[in-house]
Amino acid sequence: MASTASQRALDYLEGLPGTTFTRLYQQPSTALAIFRRMLPHLAKTIVMAMLYMPEPLTANSLDAWVKPDADSVGVKDRALSILQRLRILEEEGRAYKLAAAFAKSLRMALTGGGNHRSFGVPCSTPDEKPVSVDYLDTFARKQWESILYYVVGSANTELAAAEDISAGTKQLLQKGSFVTIRGRAATITDTGFTFLLQEVNAQIWTLLIVYLEVSSELQMDPVDVLSFLFTLGSLELGTSYATTNLTPTQQQMLDDLTDFGLVYRRTPDSTRYYPTRLATTLTSDAPALPNSSLSSTTTTDITAGAPQTVSQQQNEKGYIIVETNYRLYAYTNSPLLISILSLFSNLQTRYPNLVTAKITKASVLSAINTGISSQQIIAYLTTHAHPVLRHATPILPPTVVDQIRLWQIEGERMTAWKGFLIKDVGSDKDYEKAVQYAEALGVLRKEFRAKGWFFVTRMDQMSGYFKSQNARRRQEAAAAAAAAGQEGGSSAT
Amino acid sequence: MPRAVGGVLVECDPSIKAIISRINEQHNHDIIIEDIDDEHVLIKKDKHEELKALLKDALRDTVKEAEETSESE
Repeated sequence: MASTASQRALDYLEGLPGTTFTRLYQQPSTALAIFRRMLPHLAKTIVMAMLYMPEPLTANSLDAWVKPDADSVGVKDRALSILQRLRILEEEGRAYKLAAAFAKSLRMALTGGGNHRSFGVPCSTPDEKPVSVDYLDTFARKQWESILYYVVGSANTELAAAEDISAGTKQLLQKGSFVTIRGRAATITDTGFTFLLQEVNAQIWTLLIVYLEVSSELQMDPVDVLSFLFTLGSLELGTSYATTNLTPTQQQMLDDLTDFGLVYRRTPDSTRYYPTRLATTLTSDAPALPNSSLSSTTTTDITAGAPQTVSQQQNEKGYIIVETNYRLYAYTNSPLLISILSLFSNLQTRYPNLVTAKITKASVLSAINTGISSQQIIAYLTTHAHPVLRHATPILPPTVVDQIRLWQIEGERMTAWKGFLIKDVGSDKDYEKAVQYAEALGVLRKEFRAKGWFFVTRMDQMSGYFKSQNARRRQEAAAAAAAAGQEGGSSAT
Repeated sequence: MPRAVGGVLVECDPSIKAIISRINEQHNHDIIIEDIDDEHVLIKKDKHEELKALLKDALRDTVKEAEETSESE
C-alpha cells in the first residue's frame, strides 16, 4: 500500500472532478507518477495486464485471475476501488477498461516517443558554473528547515533568530492553518504539530496540497500545477532544465517552489532551474533530506555551521533515551529538535551535546490539548530512539508508553468517525452480503447485527453496490414472473 | 431499499453515553440522530465539536477529584 505521504496526495486527487483527471492524464509523467506511487501492487498488475488490451475486460475474466478465497477477493476489491476512484478504470456494464487518456499516456511513458516534453527539457547548453548535488542538498535543507523553524518558532520565541521565510510562504502556512496569527506573533496549531512530526516527504506533500488549494483561488490552473509537480518528481538531480517550455502558471510556480527549496535558480529570471532532492523524491520512497536535522543529530545550526564529530556518528540512528522514571536524554544540539521535544516534555538542562527533559502529565496534556496524539508522541520517541535503547524489546519502557496513552484516554471519553449509517438492508442474507462487501472495500467501521444496521466511512461505492443489487433482484423477479407465467400458460394448454 | 444516514458515529462507555443523552436533552434533542445502543450513538456532523466541548465541561464538573493526584515529585 502507498505510504502516508502519497496517501495525502491520493486523498486530494480523489476529490477532483472527472474532467480534471482526463486533462491530468494527458501528461505521460503524471500517468507514470500516479501508477508508480499511488497504486497498490495488485492494482499495478491489473493495469499492466490491461494496458494493451483492445477490448474491455469482462468482470468474470478479471475474477478468474484472483483466487476465490475471501482474502484475495478483498485485496482485489480494494485495488479496483482505488483504480476507480482515480478514474483509471472505467466500468462498462459487466466489463472494465482503462481510461483512454491514462492508457495512452502510460504507454507513451513506458515506450518513449511523442513530443509531450512532460519529463522536463534539459538545458541544451551546459551551465558555466555547474551546481553540485551537495550544494543543492544544502540549499534544499536550508529552505525547508527555515519553514519548519518558522512553524516551531511560533511555539517557541527563543528560536526567533532563525532565518526568515518569504511572506508568501507565511501566508500559505496560515492558510493551511499550521500557524495562526494572534496579535502580531504566529502561534502553532494542532495541524502544525502534526505537520512537524511527519517525515519530510509527507511534510512536502502536505504543504503542496495546501498550495494546490490556494493556487486555484489565485486563478492558477490546478492541472498545470499538479502536472508540473509530477514532472518534477521524474527529473534528475544535478541536471539543469530549461524554463522556456513551461506554461505561465508553471513559471509563476517556480518562484514559490524556490522558496520551499524544491527547485534552485541562481537568479529569479534565470532560464534554467535545478530540481533539488526535495523535488526529485516527490514520487519515490527515497529520503528527501539525507542530511536533515530532523532525521539526524548533526549540527544543522546553519549560522554556527560547525559540525560535531560526536553527534555525526549518531547520524540517522536516533538520539533519544527514555528511562523508566520518565526522564528523557536527547543527544542533540539542534534548536529544531529541542523545540520539538519541548512540545511534549519539560526541558530541564542543556549541555553542549545533550538536553535532559522529563515527561510529565502536564507536558503531555499540553501537547494533547494542542492536538498531538499520544500515538504521535510515542511514534516520535520510538523512531528517534537512541541505539542503546534499540537493543531492548520493546524499545521504549512499557510503563512510560502506557502512561502516555492513559493520560490521553483520561481526557478522551469517546471516539468518533464520520460516515454513514446504513439501515433496512433487507433479509439476513442481503445484510450479510452487504457487510462483506463493505468489509472488502475497507469502509466498514462497525456492525450492529442485532438491529440489522452497519456503519461505513464512504458511501459512493456502497450506493453503487445497492443499486446493482436492486437491479439484479428486479431482473430475477421479472424472470421468475415470466417463468411462472409460462408455466401457468403451458399447464393451461 | 436500504437507507443511509450521514453523520458521526460516536463510540463511548455507557456512563459517557448517559451524559451525552443528557446533553442532547438539554439542547432540544438537536444533537443525536440515532440512539444505537449503550455504547454507540449517531450524531449530527456539525454538532461533533460542540458535543466534545460540552462533554469536556460536563466531565470537569463530575470527575474533578481524580484529576489532581499524580502531579507530585
